[in-house]
Amino acid sequence: MAEAESKQRKPGARLCCICSQRRPALKRPKTLEQICRECFYEVFEEEIHQVIVQNQLFKPGERVAIGASGGKDSTVLAYVLSELNRRHNYGVDLFLLSIDEGITGYRDDSLETVKRNEIQYGLPLKIVSYKDLYGWTMDEIVKVIGLKNNCTFCGVFRRQALDRGAAFLKVDKVATGHNADDIAETVLLNILRGDIARLSRCTSITTGEDGPIPRCKPFKYTYEKEIVMYAYFKRLDYFSTECIYSPNAYRGFAREFIKDLERIRPRAILDIIRSGENFRISTSTKMPEQGTCERCGYISSQKWCKACVLLEGLNRGLPKLGIGRSRGLNNEEKREKKQSNGISAIESKACGTLDF
Amino acid sequence: MACSSGACQSNNCYKQEEEEESEQNSIASILDAKRGTESNDPQQSLCIKCKANSPISCTGEDVRFCADCFRSNLYGKFRLAVSSHAMITPSDKVLVAFSGGPASRVALQFVHEMQNRAQKNFDASRDRSLPVFGVGVAVIDESAIYPIPAHEFDEAITEIKLVVSNLAPPTKELHIVPIENVYASDSVDKRNRLKELLDSVTDVTGKEDLLLHLKMLSLQKIASENGYSRLILGSCTSRIACHVISAAVKGQGYSLSANIQYVDARWDTPIVLPLRDCLSQELNLLCRVDGLKTVELLNGPSSGINHLVSSFVALLQEENPSRECTIVRTAGKLTPFHFNRIPEISDCNVPLATRRRQKRFSLQPKESISSESFCPICISPLNKSEMQTLSGFGSFQSSDTFSPSCCPSCRFQILPKDPHSMEHFISLLPQPLAAQSKHDIGGNLNLLREQIQDFLLSDSDSET
Amino acid sequence: MRLTLEFGGGLELLCDSVKIHNVNVASQNGIEKLTMKDLLCWVRTNLIKERPEMFMKGDSVRPGVLVLINDCDWELSGQLDTTLEEKDVVVFISTLHGG
Repeated sequence: MAEAESKQRKPGARLCCICSQRRPALKRPKTLEQICRECFYEVFEEEIHQVIVQNQLFKPGERVAIGASGGKDSTVLAYVLSELNRRHNYGVDLFLLSIDEGITGYRDDSLETVKRNEIQYGLPLKIVSYKDLYGWTMDEIVKVIGLKNNCTFCGVFRRQALDRGAAFLKVDKVATGHNADDIAETVLLNILRGDIARLSRCTSITTGEDGPIPRCKPFKYTYEKEIVMYAYFKRLDYFSTECIYSPNAYRGFAREFIKDLERIRPRAILDIIRSGENFRISTSTKMPEQGTCERCGYISSQKWCKACVLLEGLNRGLPKLGIGRSRGLNNEEKREKKQSNGISAIESKACGTLDF
Repeated sequence: MACSSGACQSNNCYKQEEEEESEQNSIASILDAKRGTESNDPQQSLCIKCKANSPISCTGEDVRFCADCFRSNLYGKFRLAVSSHAMITPSDKVLVAFSGGPASRVALQFVHEMQNRAQKNFDASRDRSLPVFGVGVAVIDESAIYPIPAHEFDEAITEIKLVVSNLAPPTKELHIVPIENVYASDSVDKRNRLKELLDSVTDVTGKEDLLLHLKMLSLQKIASENGYSRLILGSCTSRIACHVISAAVKGQGYSLSANIQYVDARWDTPIVLPLRDCLSQELNLLCRVDGLKTVELLNGPSSGINHLVSSFVALLQEENPSRECTIVRTAGKLTPFHFNRIPEISDCNVPLATRRRQKRFSLQPKESISSESFCPICISPLNKSEMQTLSGFGSFQSSDTFSPSCCPSCRFQILPKDPHSMEHFISLLPQPLAAQSKHDIGGNLNLLREQIQDFLLSDSDSET
Repeated sequence: MRLTLEFGGGLELLCDSVKIHNVNVASQNGIEKLTMKDLLCWVRTNLIKERPEMFMKGDSVRPGVLVLINDCDWELSGQLDTTLEEKDVVVFISTLHGG
């Protein structure tokens, strides 16, 4: 690398837009500025700090879990948050929280990365596994149900696992690594599938404040490109593969569209988020009555929570229970559609990543 | 599919799928992508509606209706849209914007059929109390911007004249107007002025959108100069779906719901979209089945963001034939604006039934605020937070106030970046661009000014 | 021309999970100059073992793949037109893989 640095491609080439001293290392998608590596670190971290301050994401004395998947976003999030916490005296206690879905060749490898992060950043790590919580690994579930609805199981189980892990760590909040590209993608997906309720929520920086544990997204305005550049320049240790069980045709289209857009107009990503924030959606959607699951005590607007319904199906050898039209245990209740309100915002990360 | 519908992280992944399936609108029954595999089924070989005739056979799409049922289904959607939103009343004189493409061709055809029926009723009725609405056709000639060889242009014009003259009786007036006529009639060198205006816009998408706004302005001009009371556009579901996505991409989330409704009464001549519930595939098919002549020559190419969006939507539609409907339905759930309805009719000439129908279907505006401010370029309603993102202004010169009064999207993709070129840019704009909107921009500026003052005050307060 | 090519962010999976490749790229058509455009063609033919569509789209990298030449964003050096020199280090990182 030292060799690479010493190479001057064009003598007298442009200098960093900020410091006017060093050679630029990247072009910022947000501003199109050409900036050097040092200035990049500074503006990258400072912008996230401003987002945290302006949105009052953390209060002194709070315990905050970082949803850690071992991927680029959560790795950079863990690094930057511990750095900012130190630098600006947020006074928060940070933890890493990982979910082990039990997917051989995918999650076991990425958990190794998280374990290294635990040491590198000195943050206590808690891993909750599907096997411990539910008695099933995703590998076992896929063996029974095949590849058709596996993501439904995984999604429902993960949300609850995260809340349980957070409760175990006694944290006040969970921070996830969703970046601007992810949120823009979610806005589009919610338009494509006609989900107005989620469309109105998906751009909120903090969600689930009425649920057991609120979630927040400090990277809401941070471009994926910058996160990857940051991780690369800082030589952060992260893991990257796709979940082996996730088919991704439809989401793939949206993702590719966002990247194509970014190429011709980088600001489009932030424009989509702004659109999402400004949609005229009447806020009269009714919130369901929040009760607790009779079986496990998790919050639920139904008799049994979704995870228990799915689990019951698995254990009784009827894995279709709770999938598709709701002829399950709760069918006397109102349409289940309402159930998700207030629990958590939909996110569109590829299946199997840990950023919920 | 559960996962590919994109909701895997949510606990109601399957519900969305269910919802989509159950709400598959009539298109799914018309165009069934998978039918090819079941074509051996003898049940399938008859029209699913009349069960008598064989369905339309054509390559590409799969249709389960016979030609008659297909046509009447499509016409039915048109008529429902027209009657539910009081788009055309007997006393109206409507102007159909005709681009030569299949959508506006069908719009023209259907309006003609409706007029023809009204004429027959009129002739048959004894008292002749119900007048027949008038129809005119407007074609905007964009050859100033997209030059085409003279003979091709002449051919296209002949073709269009033929189409319109064949749609008689009742006869329809045809207005073929060059786009540069958007400038006042006494302006000099309109063509070059228009070219210079468009050349000053560097962003390809911005240029395209500006041209679209100018086209709308031209149509409005034709309508008001010739006494039309409605402007009919052929915007179909597919087109609106693309608009929804591109508006979201351009950051126009707030104003999005203004442009996708059946009715847009922001203008002197309200704009109506009677084909809002028809898909472009259906319209193309009808043109093919009925041999409706289309003339594509006069339309400019699409590029930039708009092009990217239409290929994205086309891809999605291919994957799921109800995708465009779902997109438009989502956008339809956004709160419309007060101007998205035909102003109440007090005219007692209008039959009671029409008035009643209008009441039943019309959107009752929840908030009666009508103090909306509008972007002078694209006439989008502005939301307050967007107006407060202004910065750096001291005195209020026209060029200083113009930019902050535009929506962020136009500011980015249309207005010149260099503040020094602003004065020149404004001088190139057709005069009525702002004033054409019913809600005059001068009032907006005063409002804006007040808001700016408030903003500045509160800002300095918090600092001390 | 000797170059070091590095694949990351999941792209290494397309070339037998090898991250760093020290390669010698013959200049095209006897012309001394080697541009990024030429290099991408070469990589596609010689290094990518599966799913080339994950790496390229048209004659450029797929949107979402970052390219750094000597640790500098290729958007600063002219992207496809960038001329490569002996011992340059070219890094490709996908942003498309799980976060």
